[in-house]
Amino acid sequence: MSTAAVSTPKPSLRQKTSKTTVNQGGDRFIPNRAASSAIANTGSSKANIPDKKKKKRSNPGISEGSMEAAQNEDASTAFEGLSILDDDEDDGYSRPSPNTVAYQDSLADVCGVSLKTRILEFKPAPPESSKPVDLRQQYNRPLRTAASGQARRRIATAPERVLDAPGLIDDYYLNLLDWSSGNQVAIGLERSVYVWSADEGSVNCLMETSPDTYVSSVKWSEDGAYVGIGLGTGEVQIWDVAESQKIRSMFGHDTRVGVMGWSKHLLSTGSRSGLVFNHDVRIAKHKIAELVSHTSEVCGLEWRADGAQLATGGNDNLVSIWDARSLTVPKFTKANHKAAVKALAWCPWNTNLLATGGGSYDRHIHFWNSTTGARVNSIDTGSQVTSLRWSPHHREIVSSSGFPDNTLSVWSYPTLVRNIEFPAHESRVLHSCLSPDGQMLATAAADESLKFWKIFEKRAGTSAAASAASRKADMAKHMTIR
Amino acid sequence: MEPEKKKSSSKTSSSKDKRPKDKDKDESKTHKLSLKGSSRLVAEFFQYSIHTILFQRGVYPAEDFTAVKKYGLNMLVSADDQVKAYIKKIMSQLDKWMVGGKISKLVIVITDKDTGEHVERWQFDQQQQQQENSSSASAATPLFAEKDKPEAEIQAEIAAIFRQITASVTFLPQLTGDCTFNVLVYADADSDVPVEWGDSDAKEIQNGERVQLRGFSTANHRVDTIVSYRLGD
Repeated sequence: MSTAAVSTPKPSLRQKTSKTTVNQGGDRFIPNRAASSAIANTGSSKANIPDKKKKKRSNPGISEGSMEAAQNEDASTAFEGLSILDDDEDDGYSRPSPNTVAYQDSLADVCGVSLKTRILEFKPAPPESSKPVDLRQQYNRPLRTAASGQARRRIATAPERVLDAPGLIDDYYLNLLDWSSGNQVAIGLERSVYVWSADEGSVNCLMETSPDTYVSSVKWSEDGAYVGIGLGTGEVQIWDVAESQKIRSMFGHDTRVGVMGWSKHLLSTGSRSGLVFNHDVRIAKHKIAELVSHTSEVCGLEWRADGAQLATGGNDNLVSIWDARSLTVPKFTKANHKAAVKALAWCPWNTNLLATGGGSYDRHIHFWNSTTGARVNSIDTGSQVTSLRWSPHHREIVSSSGFPDNTLSVWSYPTLVRNIEFPAHESRVLHSCLSPDGQMLATAAADESLKFWKIFEKRAGTSAAASAASRKADMAKHMTIR
Repeated sequence: MEPEKKKSSSKTSSSKDKRPKDKDKDESKTHKLSLKGSSRLVAEFFQYSIHTILFQRGVYPAEDFTAVKKYGLNMLVSADDQVKAYIKKIMSQLDKWMVGGKISKLVIVITDKDTGEHVERWQFDQQQQQQENSSSASAATPLFAEKDKPEAEIQAEIAAIFRQITASVTFLPQLTGDCTFNVLVYADADSDVPVEWGDSDAKEIQNGERVQLRGFSTANHRVDTIVSYRLGD
């Protein structure tokens, strides 16, 4: 390549600064200011070609083997001569021929590209995005997160009412609290059963057992007229509450009856032996079925609302789901829990959904599809699950717990988000039940108190009734059953 | 310092030694401070522009960004170490070029990762006041601000640009799919080029729509903003 510049050998005092940057040159087309202006010099450069060629032979840029001293001197002057013109150019840059320059200039002119600038790109690839970004999501983000908006309602963490429940037996395997459809709360305290009317606030003692035994379970019939009472001896009594009269006693279990459940005229009773009996309370030969599955004390028993399925849980860590039409073997037996299963609850809006909670070693709530037997969800609550209740109004379930914090937790379903957790009692919460309107939860704990919580309050529209109720509650914040 | 003057001297090669070297030195001295400050301001503006565009156009997830107070606005800057280092590297070179007055445009190109198609192009045109006519022609060229333009006014102009960039997401087409970005610089041909930088085409958007946004000016620089984007199909 020949250079187009005029070279008048002339010593230069100008110092070349050493450059650390890399030059792109050679045969690549790089727009260059000096090059574009070279057209003006084309004529004069031609005149000097012979002179130039002679010098070029020894130009260090184009090495030709060994150099003679004389030529070397010549070369250095030539080089300096070049560089004085070139002073804002890079050292080793070789210039295109005049024709090329002219062509480039005209081409650049046509394309509207300026040869004075070059477009430089920062070559390293930018870092990868940690995850794909959906801008639609980003722009449409709600101002408040979903959890703090509609989904997260305010839940009162203070009890509406506290009642003393002296003598409540601290036994995880018993079920001593129930709330009837007639808005009456029955609670078994040692040898007695008390009925507290939530409407009137009045308390009366329904029965007292013989001194050799104690009340191990209470359960209201569906119509709220009768209460089933299981005893430590294995006897099951049925009482008419309005008349305060025992209707009948049913025998059969030889160990305590810790749990019961009604389905119309059927009363299912679970005992310490692990046996579950179905009694038809209308007939003399009451025992109509013997459900054999559990090998240890039955402490959880819950009929589905339509009476088609029965769920039982026991101290053998099993959950059994029974089909009411064939009770010889359980439809499913689930062994996922690692501790006794006392907490059982059927979902009110999804008949196939059963929630079960395990004891202190297990701490899990499992959700089952009772038709397929599949486990659909699980929560690790971090503490013993002593009871579970679904809200009929909200897509939520409340769990009560024992060690370490004796709390109540409200979970959204199916998101399984814990909406709130708050300490409820001073010792483990043993029993819980929902009011007939589904808004209030009653809990009884080993601290011998019975507390009422408005955790499933209905949304606006019932405010008048609610405020009236709370005024009433303020008046009698603390009262004693006995 | 002033490429135009140098160019003229190299054109008329015979007058090359007429340039007094002392004068050259003096010029760079007298304007150094204000020019440096202005360059820094513009470079900083570029830096925040890159962060803002990366956030607004979803090149990186929103969680990677943190808000900092700047220009009286909450500016979102990447908190990701890699992205930060990447931008820092760009900026360190840009700063050098800015002070040398070598840069005429800074371009951020957003490219679809899958198709390789350039989908959006943010161009910041930068003009630098020529020093030889800074005193005489300042009245004739309203392009540049008065010498005594208050800093607060410049900051307000910059804030307005960022507001516009933020607001522009409303008219810019939805970017679908994974996108990446590149930074281009239109530099003088005689600029020093480090290894990380190489020649590139303009990465223009084909059949793109162009929208001119606001600009700002200091006594030495004027910056204009143009976004071009691919029209929705």
